[in-house]
Amino acid sequence: MAERKLQVALYWGAACGGCDVAVLDTNEFILDVAAAADIRLWPIAVDGKYQDVEAMDDAELDVTLFNGAVRNSENEHVAKLLRRKSKIMVAFGTCAHLGGIPGLANQFSREEIMERAYLNNPSLEVGNRTLPQTQTDCAAGQLEIPRFYARVYRLADVVEVDYTVPGCPPHPSQVKAVLTAVVTGTLPPRGAVVGASERAVCDDCPRKKEEKRVARFYRPWQIIQDPERCLLEQGILCAGSVTRSGCGVRCPNSNMPCRGCYGPLPNVRDQGAKFISAVSSIVDSKDPEEIDRILAGVPDIMGYAYRFGLPGSLLQRSL
Amino acid sequence: MEERRIGVYVCNCGTNIAKMVDCEAVAREAEQLPGVVAARSYKYMCSNPGQEMIQQDIRDLKLDRVVVAACSPRMHELTFRGALQGAGLNPYFLEMANIREQCSWVHEDARAATSKAAALTRAAVKRVVFHEPLEKRYVDMCPATLVIGGGVAGITAALELAGADQPVYLVEREDHLGGNVARVDLTAPYLDSARDILAERIARVRENSNIRVLLESEVQQVTGFVGNFTATIRTGRDGEVATTEARIGSVIVCTGYQPFDAARVQSYGYGWFPNVVTSFDFERMLRSGRIVTDKGAPPRYVAIVHCIGSRSQEFHPYCSRVCCMTALKYAHEAKSALPEAYVYDLYIDMHAFGKGCEDFYRRSAEIKTIFLMYRKGSAPEIRQAGPKYDCEMLIRVNDQLSGEEVDIPADLVVLMVGMESREDAGKVARMVNISQDKDGWFIESHPKLDPVATTTDGVFIAGACQAPKDITDSVAQARAAAARILGKIARGRIEVDAVFAEVDEERCSGCRMCNELCPYVAIEYDETKKRSHVISALCKACGTCVASCPSGAIKARHFTDQQIFAQIEGVL
Repeated sequence: MAERKLQVALYWGAACGGCDVAVLDTNEFILDVAAAADIRLWPIAVDGKYQDVEAMDDAELDVTLFNGAVRNSENEHVAKLLRRKSKIMVAFGTCAHLGGIPGLANQFSREEIMERAYLNNPSLEVGNRTLPQTQTDCAAGQLEIPRFYARVYRLADVVEVDYTVPGCPPHPSQVKAVLTAVVTGTLPPRGAVVGASERAVCDDCPRKKEEKRVARFYRPWQIIQDPERCLLEQGILCAGSVTRSGCGVRCPNSNMPCRGCYGPLPNVRDQGAKFISAVSSIVDSKDPEEIDRILAGVPDIMGYAYRFGLPGSLLQRSL
Repeated sequence: MEERRIGVYVCNCGTNIAKMVDCEAVAREAEQLPGVVAARSYKYMCSNPGQEMIQQDIRDLKLDRVVVAACSPRMHELTFRGALQGAGLNPYFLEMANIREQCSWVHEDARAATSKAAALTRAAVKRVVFHEPLEKRYVDMCPATLVIGGGVAGITAALELAGADQPVYLVEREDHLGGNVARVDLTAPYLDSARDILAERIARVRENSNIRVLLESEVQQVTGFVGNFTATIRTGRDGEVATTEARIGSVIVCTGYQPFDAARVQSYGYGWFPNVVTSFDFERMLRSGRIVTDKGAPPRYVAIVHCIGSRSQEFHPYCSRVCCMTALKYAHEAKSALPEAYVYDLYIDMHAFGKGCEDFYRRSAEIKTIFLMYRKGSAPEIRQAGPKYDCEMLIRVNDQLSGEEVDIPADLVVLMVGMESREDAGKVARMVNISQDKDGWFIESHPKLDPVATTTDGVFIAGACQAPKDITDSVAQARAAAARILGKIARGRIEVDAVFAEVDEERCSGCRMCNELCPYVAIEYDETKKRSHVISALCKACGTCVASCPSGAIKARHFTDQQIFAQIEGVL
């Protein structure tokens, strides 16, 4: 280790920044990383240019932690560039893994998104008709911005991914685990989802599970919950049953329902479909009108079921 | 994966398939698919030569998978599985493509139908590649039977089983056996006494040590599966209650019917006119030997009105089957008790389809019963007669035979109330896990070919709980159900289909999502392991739990994701 420092890049695609903050949340550990590794690219914290990466030899980087989804041509370009320059490509965090929150935009066309963001939005200046263009001619010459794709992709849709670290964001301990594994050469088999269990969150959740019969669904603030009992059984939309564990059951243990950020179980192709089938399975009625009434208590089933996984779902014809 | 050796057999089904699908073209196309070593079309694949062709190929070409493109698997899957087994191949290495019911029978464009048949066949070929060898399993058969309901069907079934030296629990809610038949005087069309029919059989039940009769008792719960049920029976009313746990292998539901409540039809004034009575009220008079009005006088005019609550859009759309002949029986009994009385019979259509019934109808006319025919939807109206009439009531009928609206006199009106499913039939259905049709009758496994079995193995239905029927048919069904059970007892063990769901405990997270969903109550949750598991003997492989399992931990044998996705790929 002493002769050659670990060569590391961290990058964000379509992301909120939370994954990068999770890396910073490793506190002093990040200093150990800085001591043991050269951070060659990390837009949020370290100065570095794309040209510098382009100038590297192929596979010069030991590992890239790529967070964020692939939303535009820049995301894809950098993903491909870093893939070429890295020995190990890690899809870091839920957006890179599954498409994440940005992936919910796949419910809408590019035109609808542009309309909403730039033309018809209460925070816009009245009468604004300006839409971003890929190329703009101005006095200083031609300006170019990345092309906005028709849909959001997972990292694995555009480059080969070696490891996945799930979580929105991943727990700082996961960051340590991955970097430590790279440094010590104790990596799991390629393709592994690092730090995730083979079972659902329910398996680790200490809450008492009985038979599920729900006559009304609640958002967490609408009910005073029994802290001992399964949240779903209380009508709170918890995605624990359709989500891989490994997170430490942090949300249910904080009296909040699991949101599903660790993604589907290894045997499952479509987490959202599983969630919808779970919710519809526990409705306590056989009367069609009453069922409608109960399900009306679920305000945004797409948002709940496909909160993180729409781009990789069967709905998007992804297998 | 190792290369498969698949044979594809496309059936013409005479002209059933061939008239719309070019079967030879389907075979030629299948021949090109990877792994297919033989593809043939033939007149009738299910015939002996057809099956022998498949078996010959299995032996000569060393086939290890077979696709038959023919009718619905519900029709002939077992036939072809048998053919595979006969040639030494695991029967589950078969896949059928339904190119008859789902193709030739429902299309009119032969080219499109042929290309659809080819796609369905391709899907079957892709699927069969992933078929796994499955073995049938066996469970023990407990010889005891629970008979729910002590009417004529229940009594008959109990005697039949006990006569073969098998133990029976006969559970009756009332304090006596006999059911609705015990409320009847004579029976149609031969005018035998119902009492005679019952008394002798009830005595035999009482004497038979194989039958344990539980009166004033209700079944509370039935758990387990075919051959291995446990029933909890509660005996007694408030205060003194005893509970019996019975180990049983089969259940016959003989819970019968309840009479339609005549007060629901307002135009007849039942409950308002004291001398408008129901058929069951009239039976009571006949059994006591006194046909009288509320004033104690014998009626001069007796009117019998058919189809009360039956064949009506407002109440029950179906025919109750026994009322027409019972009405004629009343005509006979009234005439014989009161030779001077006029008997009117008001019907919509005279249903006299049973053995001896048409003769009975003729004899009823010969004894001078006056028949009037009213139209469906234009029910006769009953009103009080004024002082100038020699009768108590007048019935206005739009008589279809004469084409005239007439008023007929009546001192006593008998309403032929129809049969309806019992109010608490739903409770029974849920308890033994059988289904009800839209009118509440229990549903048989097949309306023609399997009339006393249900979709729950080991649970049979007999008598009027299945649909309105007379004593003759109830007895026939009861004996049929008993025979089915005796057949199972004789074999000593029960074959359980090799297709069922199983939980991979390594993947189960114990979320309990599946627990309440299983329509066959086949899923158990282990509190200590915190895992769910499927009782395979109870499982019907419906797939509900498989689809619902959030962890993808439940696998349906013979319907794995891999098989289904391969099949979907094949049609796309």
